[in-house]
Amino acid sequence: MCSLLRGEEMCLAQLFLQSGSAYDCINELGELGLVEFRDLNPGVNAFQRKHVNEIKKCEEMERILEVKKADISLPEGDVNPVAPLPKHVMAIMEQLQRLEVELGEVTRNKEKLQRNLLELTEYTHMLRTTRNFVQRTSEVSVFISGLIQRTKIEAFERMLWRVCKGYTILSYAEVEEYLEDPDTGEPTKSVVFLISYWGDQIGQKVKKICDCYHCHLYPYPSSNEERTDVVEGLRTRIQDLHTVLHRTDDYLKQVLMKASESVYTWVIQVKKMKAIYFILNLCSFDVTNKCLIAEVWCPVNDIPTLRRALEEGSRKSGATVPSFVNRIPTNDTPPTLIRTNKFTSGFQNIVDAYGVGNYREVNPAPFTIITFPFLFAVMFGDLGHGVIMALFALWMVLYENNRKLKNTRNEIWNTFFEGRYIILMMGLFSIYTGLIYNDCFSKSLNIFGSGWSVKAMFEAKVWKDADIRGNRVLTLDPNVTGVFRGPYPLGIDPIWNLASNRLTFLNSYKMKMSVILGVIHMSFGVILSTYNYLHFRKKHSLYLVFLPELLFLLCLFGYLVFMIFYKWLVFTAKDSRLAPSILIHFINMFLMQAPTLHRLGMYRVRFDFADEFLHQAIHTIEYCLGCVSNTASYLRLWALSLAHAQLSEVLWTMVMRVGLRMDTSLGVFFLVPVFGLFAVLTVSILLVMEGLSAFLHALRLHWVEFQNKFYSGTGVKFCPFSFSLLPSSFEHDGLL
Amino acid sequence: RPGFLSFNVNHGYLEGLVRGMKAGILTRTDYHNLAQCDTLEDMKLHLQSTDYGKMLSSSEEDLTVSMVDSKLRENLLTEFSCLRSNALPPLSTFLDYITYSYMIDNVVMLITGALKQRDVAELLPRCHPLGAFDQMAAVGIARTPTELYSAILVDTPLAQFFQDAVSECNLDEMEVEILRSKLFKAYLESFHSFCKTIGGDTKDIMCPVLEFEADRRAFIITVNSFGTDLSCTDRSALYPSCGKLYPEGLSLLARAEDHEQVKAVANCYPAYKIIFDDPEPGSGFKTLEDRFFEQEVKLNTLAFLQQFHFGVFYSYIKLKEQESRNIVWIAECVTQRQKSKIHNYIPIFQETT
Repeated sequence: MCSLLRGEEMCLAQLFLQSGSAYDCINELGELGLVEFRDLNPGVNAFQRKHVNEIKKCEEMERILEVKKADISLPEGDVNPVAPLPKHVMAIMEQLQRLEVELGEVTRNKEKLQRNLLELTEYTHMLRTTRNFVQRTSEVSVFISGLIQRTKIEAFERMLWRVCKGYTILSYAEVEEYLEDPDTGEPTKSVVFLISYWGDQIGQKVKKICDCYHCHLYPYPSSNEERTDVVEGLRTRIQDLHTVLHRTDDYLKQVLMKASESVYTWVIQVKKMKAIYFILNLCSFDVTNKCLIAEVWCPVNDIPTLRRALEEGSRKSGATVPSFVNRIPTNDTPPTLIRTNKFTSGFQNIVDAYGVGNYREVNPAPFTIITFPFLFAVMFGDLGHGVIMALFALWMVLYENNRKLKNTRNEIWNTFFEGRYIILMMGLFSIYTGLIYNDCFSKSLNIFGSGWSVKAMFEAKVWKDADIRGNRVLTLDPNVTGVFRGPYPLGIDPIWNLASNRLTFLNSYKMKMSVILGVIHMSFGVILSTYNYLHFRKKHSLYLVFLPELLFLLCLFGYLVFMIFYKWLVFTAKDSRLAPSILIHFINMFLMQAPTLHRLGMYRVRFDFADEFLHQAIHTIEYCLGCVSNTASYLRLWALSLAHAQLSEVLWTMVMRVGLRMDTSLGVFFLVPVFGLFAVLTVSILLVMEGLSAFLHALRLHWVEFQNKFYSGTGVKFCPFSFSLLPSSFEHDGLL
Repeated sequence: RPGFLSFNVNHGYLEGLVRGMKAGILTRTDYHNLAQCDTLEDMKLHLQSTDYGKMLSSSEEDLTVSMVDSKLRENLLTEFSCLRSNALPPLSTFLDYITYSYMIDNVVMLITGALKQRDVAELLPRCHPLGAFDQMAAVGIARTPTELYSAILVDTPLAQFFQDAVSECNLDEMEVEILRSKLFKAYLESFHSFCKTIGGDTKDIMCPVLEFEADRRAFIITVNSFGTDLSCTDRSALYPSCGKLYPEGLSLLARAEDHEQVKAVANCYPAYKIIFDDPEPGSGFKTLEDRFFEQEVKLNTLAFLQQFHFGVFYSYIKLKEQESRNIVWIAECVTQRQKSKIHNYIPIFQETT
């Protein structure tokens, strides 16, 4: 509990690692995730450090593996192989390189074969298509024939015309089939063309233009017999190529299958190894050059575990001289470590989002576990909505180990899933406040029977039948005997649901409740600050800061709260007309005693230095003004709660009641879609939207109004060297 | 300003994108670290920690400077084509205008290569990929500028810049340079007037940049023409007329006969005076070209101070090009072990830390 309240006690320790066993020791520490390493060579560039070559090697291996990932389907499974020993690295490296070479060769071969096949196919197409181009061969003309991409033919024709000034004849026809472009792998349409020209000079130009447009040129047969021969020869060669390609594919598949077994392990191993060398780069050598010195932040409680890990590491590497830990005193502020479990981590995250606490500062998170859902529920008070929310969260909690829920990549879903315990608490508290407000989907529950009786008004002969018929609205008088039989046992009396002045009543109640909750919350924050003063040995602050602060808060707003309770308790229905207005009274009090504010500031002048004085004066003014504005800020509890209740009532009257008012026979069919609409709107607007808004306001009340009373939140988070925290979760690198 | 309201509807996404890319431009510390490298492998390691990421790591063979250069160009092309394919008019036209200058350079390089009887297949990889076009490989066929225009380039966007450049004289090395200058003159004037028609902040940002570019060409043409048989009138026909030097400065430049006279012309313009000023004692010697580059970088960084205009796209491409030049320079120095000259790169965004 103490650890959750204040965070772990940390210490700076020096690790003396024998150079032989350093790798194993760091490996051991990485598996455990105990300590945070400090950089002992901050002035050295990344490429001038000691183990830069090893890191380069790891990167090379990573690159090879990266290339593989496209071809290899990785097996599912949570294997956690240990980092390989330095001597085994070469073996892995060799295997990887062999694999790379082999794969590269096979793929290159395959590509070559495919290109070959394409050429032959193109040639066949060309021969087949150009058969009809030339009816009459003349002796003088020379032919160039080939294929060009469909999109380029027009520009090609134009340039041919312009450059050769008409000394060429171009005929072309489109190939029916789509041929695969070997560079992009996309199917493209090609055009077969035949150019006949006269003269050498023109011929050179034509060839250059063909080059420019990346035409594939093929020799044009001089006679029909030759053409048939070539086509025949091509057909057999294409068939052969197909069989060879098939074989190559099979072989490639085999190679990949073999590789996929070990690739997953290798990926993790290489990552771990790289991390270890990265840490070794942070260490410095001692004078004798025999051992490495590392400086680490470590929780005091974990030092025995750390020792054991080092022993284990030394034992594994078979070193004769053991590595050891040495605590060193330091003036640096250690990082903050607050151990959490799956329940508290959500709340700790809320606090950390505002700022990581200073070392050994009071951590608001344990209190937030209760106050956060409570303040949320005050704004979200509705039994029905609370039940839905709690059930949803409960489902997530019960199935939290389900892989499908856990490993999704949907960011929005993850946010909800991470906060499942917060949502559960919020739902449960909403059920409670819903009961107090007596609101369930904006309707009241009459469980214990209302404390008010209409019948009594008739029995006392105050109302007559004519009154009922003549008036739309009548007032129950609690002073008539039997009309008000005492308060409802739990929460608001359900009869208010029928009353036309319900809103006036609830407003007054919720407004006062917000102020009461706010003052309690803030006073609690001020009281928590004493824990900080006591721990950091600032006793004077106890008298000079805490007491005046508490006095100010309680004398002004504590008194306000007292007045609210006093008015509730002392004035009954009989003498309610005599009840004074708290607001008027409070304003009067303020106007008469306004100088208080200044006196507090002056009080401190005599005791502190100018600097301290200025600081404290600002703090005083800020606190005093802050108290006023913060108290006003808590009125958002009232406002949001009012908005939520009104919105759900509007939804009921505008949607559900329309359906319920229909004729019975028709209404049955009509109710189904109306209920659907009601349900969708309830979930999307009232639960999700309103829930988010109430969440944000609760967040603000904690961050600003509560935490500024005692929490500075300027610390640094402890981030241990741990393999589990490495970006080895492959999603980041796209390896899975 | 009218553009403010509707700019983001059409071009907001791309402007955001380009500003994001701009944040990836190497900083002072990056250059400092790069300059400390001993091998190209070290540079690769360092570039991995920048926005270039794994750009260089995928290559299997040993790194060479030309490989670095082509990878950098490829990288720029990827970024540019991402911008271009998402652009709507008039931004798309604007982006096309940026590519035209690279196309002109490619055409000139191909012709010079063809004159030296080089193979096209050998020349093509050396062309800047931003200025690639379909008819590129056929450029070498042309013998005269007229032929070049009417047979090959008439279908390309470069055709519009050929009004003044058409001539029947044979293409030799001198003629190619003149062709390049004429094309550039037409290109810059056309780009300048296009930016003017867009108006708004695009005009305010782009016109000074293009005017500087025009004047730089005029200066460089003048300086390079010393010692050749290019006459004054020939020379003045090559000067782009959209710069700040137009018209008085250009007529003075046309009459200049040595470096001192060019300097005298530049002295009349405060913006160019600093470029031709003698270097301060203590600072290293810089070529005229480097000084112009420095000034260009300065102008281009200014474009990012305002929003809702196209200048950022132009400036980003130019800055990125300068960055590539810097990296290649450092890589050259590293491979040739010329550590003393390694600091002659031109840093971009000096103030940012």
